[in-house]
This record gives sequence, C-alpha cells and structure tokens, in this order.
Amino acid sequence: MKLELTLNGRPCVTEAPGHWTVLDLLRDGLNLMGTKYGCGEGVCGTCTVLADGRPIRACLVLAAHVRGRALVTVEGLERDGRLDPLQTAFAERGAAQCGFCTPGMLLAAKALLAQNPAPTVDDVREALAGNLCRCTGYTKIVDAVLAAASGAR
Amino acid sequence: MRLYPFDLVEPDTLAAALDALARLDGEARLVAGGTALVPMIRLGLVKPDRVISLHRLPEFAEVRRDGGTLQLGAMARLADICTAPAVREGWPLLAEAARRVATPAIRVSGTIGGNLCYAEAASDPAPALLCLEAQVRVAGAAGGRTVPVVDFFRGFYETALAPGEIVTAIRVPATPAGARSGYVKFTSRSAEDRPLVGVAALVVRDSSGRWDDVRIGLGGVAPTPIRAPRAEAVLRGEAPGDATLRAAAEAAAREAEPLSDLMGSADYRREMIRVWVRRLLTSLRDGARSA
Repeated sequence: MKLELTLNGRPCVTEAPGHWTVLDLLRDGLNLMGTKYGCGEGVCGTCTVLADGRPIRACLVLAAHVRGRALVTVEGLERDGRLDPLQTAFAERGAAQCGFCTPGMLLAAKALLAQNPAPTVDDVREALAGNLCRCTGYTKIVDAVLAAASGAR
Repeated sequence: MRLYPFDLVEPDTLAAALDALARLDGEARLVAGGTALVPMIRLGLVKPDRVISLHRLPEFAEVRRDGGTLQLGAMARLADICTAPAVREGWPLLAEAARRVATPAIRVSGTIGGNLCYAEAASDPAPALLCLEAQVRVAGAAGGRTVPVVDFFRGFYETALAPGEIVTAIRVPATPAGARSGYVKFTSRSAEDRPLVGVAALVVRDSSGRWDDVRIGLGGVAPTPIRAPRAEAVLRGEAPGDATLRAAAEAAAREAEPLSDLMGSADYRREMIRVWVRRLLTSLRDGARSA
C-alpha cells in the first residue's frame, strides 16, 4: 500500500505492506534505526515516536494508521546540526547508560514539554511512566528533563 | 519481528466494514487503535487472514455531549476522553478511569470501543461505565441494537457481540445530580500493569446524608468487570460509619470471583478488594472526591 506522511518535517511518500507497523516502516522501510525494537508489546516504550506531536508506540500502531500524519523520530530532534535541548541535557547529566531506552525517553519527554513547558517532578514521572530503563534508574533522566525545561524557559 | 502477514482492509463506510467482516473466507479481526490486537497477533494468539481497520470511519472518533447524554464513538481515544472538557465536567468518573489506563502513549492510540471489545477483566474504564450504566451501540447486517454494558461482558475475554457485529458507539447517561464518584486502581508492579484490583464507585446522598444511590464497579476481580450489588445493598439507605464501610468492602470481597495469576493470588486479590473498596468509599464519604 502507498503511504504519504510527513517524516521529521519532510514529505515522505513510500510503500509498505498492510501488516507492517510504524516500527517496521521506520527501521526496515526507511532505514531509520534510531527507533528501537524492545518488547514488541507496547510495554517498554523504547519505540516511542511522535505522531502529530503525541507519543505513540511504533511497535503497536499499524503503518496505515499514520497515513497523512506528521511523525517525529529521534533522528528528527536535532535542528541544523544542533542537538535538541533535551538531548544536550541527557548528555550533560548522564541520563543515558546503555542508551537503548534513550530515543523513547527523549520523545516522550519532548511530547510532555510541548504541552507543559514547566513540568513538576511528578509531571515528568507520569509522562515517562511508560518508558523503562534497566540501567541507571530514573533520577538522572528526570533531572535532565527538568533541566531542559528550565533551560528552555 | 514482523506481524503475521494479514491483509489490511480499510473501509470508509460502516456498510463496507460490515461487508468485509461478513465475508466467510478466512478469519477476520477488527482493529481500532491496535493496542490490544497487535500484541495478540505478535504473541501468536490470533492469526487473522484479514484485519479490518475502523480508522476511516469519521463518526467513530467523536466525543460529544448530546443533551444530557455523552456520546462516544467506538474509536474515541482514551487520551481524548480523559482531557475532553465535556467529559471532565459531566462524567468525571469516566475521565478519571480513562486517565488511569496504562501509560500516556497507550492512551493516545487506545480506544474506548476497543477497550470494551477486548473484554479484559482488568479494564480501567469498564468499572466506571458499569457505575454510569452506559449502553453499547452495536451494528450488524440485520441492523442496530443496544446492549447495556452490564450485559456486554459475558465471560473471560468474551462479549455479547455476535459474529459480524461491530460496536459503533458508547452512550453514557447523565451522571446523577450531586453524585460523588471516584476510581482507584492498585497495580502490584508498575504503571503499565493492568490493575490487580480496580474500583469505581458513585454515590448520591439525600439531604440527611444517607446514601440513596450507591454503585460499585470492580475490575480484575472476576472473569469479567462486575458490579458489586451485595456491597451496594449494605450501603443503600445508610449514612455509613466506618463499620458499615468495612462491611461493604467485605461483601465486595465475598461476591468477587478472583483468579490467581502472576500478578497475585486469588486470596491476595480478595484482600486488596477489601482494602481498596474501603479506601475509596471512605474518601467519597469524607468528601475528598466529588463529581
């Protein structure tokens, strides 16, 4: 089937079988490997991407269901070669260890800050409740999101 | 890992969706948000030849107040239900329960119709809809019918839908005037868990403080979401003190039929029903929550 959508700010016209998920489309159809396959059941959150600014699980959503929508993946966070403030904060605050959960964490946090530029600790924890990290724990991740929010204000 | 290679059908009318579902060649499944069906396909629990997506049916996505009734299209997203001002003002119990489903990204995709049709015993919205006495609108080749949500759940992951039928909408009658309501859930591990026990309750007090309307819905404590009529009977007409609330919680624990699974044993679930029913009812009595 033919798919037209906006991907990281650019128009994208592509083909995908009907049984493909958004994750299949990104990784195998479009060779964007930033979005990870974790549990495949919508639990771990590492495949989180944004569709029209809201977080979705790329492993659960059928590719057909993002037809005509605007997708943002971790590859789309930097602007003109400059990292997003969230990415900078994650790097500076040691909020990534193995890095596997990081793309999903960044996009879930991006969605939060877009609708709530001044979140509390609880707001951040709730927004990231569906993103699992098995290395560092969550303290530095939450700190990094709060730092990015206060730096951006 | 790829999904089983089904054919995707994307009808743009209800009639075309019903036709696609009625075809007899191979197994067909409906998909709304995909948060339930896709994991089932990935785990190999179902291998549909044809998946019929409802995402092109525009009237299926509506969240609309219609006089005193709330009209939810079957494809209304949980994230939209819990943020819609009409729902938060008029049906706060439903908004609260929808907001507790899984995690943010799941609520963005998951739909109210899909949640009910999956017939998960530990659904968060189902106990709220049981208390609100919602009605499920169903379309089939022979026409439409309405099923009270209390009759919609028939057994373990089993609904009243006949083959070839599609849920089109959920209608929620007005919340009774002056009602206090709330939804609490207990998960034994983390946020994305289904509730070990979910409790919704709605009470209306008369001028003397007696509870003349009491509705309690439970999730995760029986093969389907249930009302707790014996617990309700303990409270009806009472201005409940702590002992009466404890007796109601005990009645709820006794009328539940909990299963044992990896999240907790049947005995543990029964104990958690006692705890969470009592806590919710106490907070409703003491005015910590209101509609």
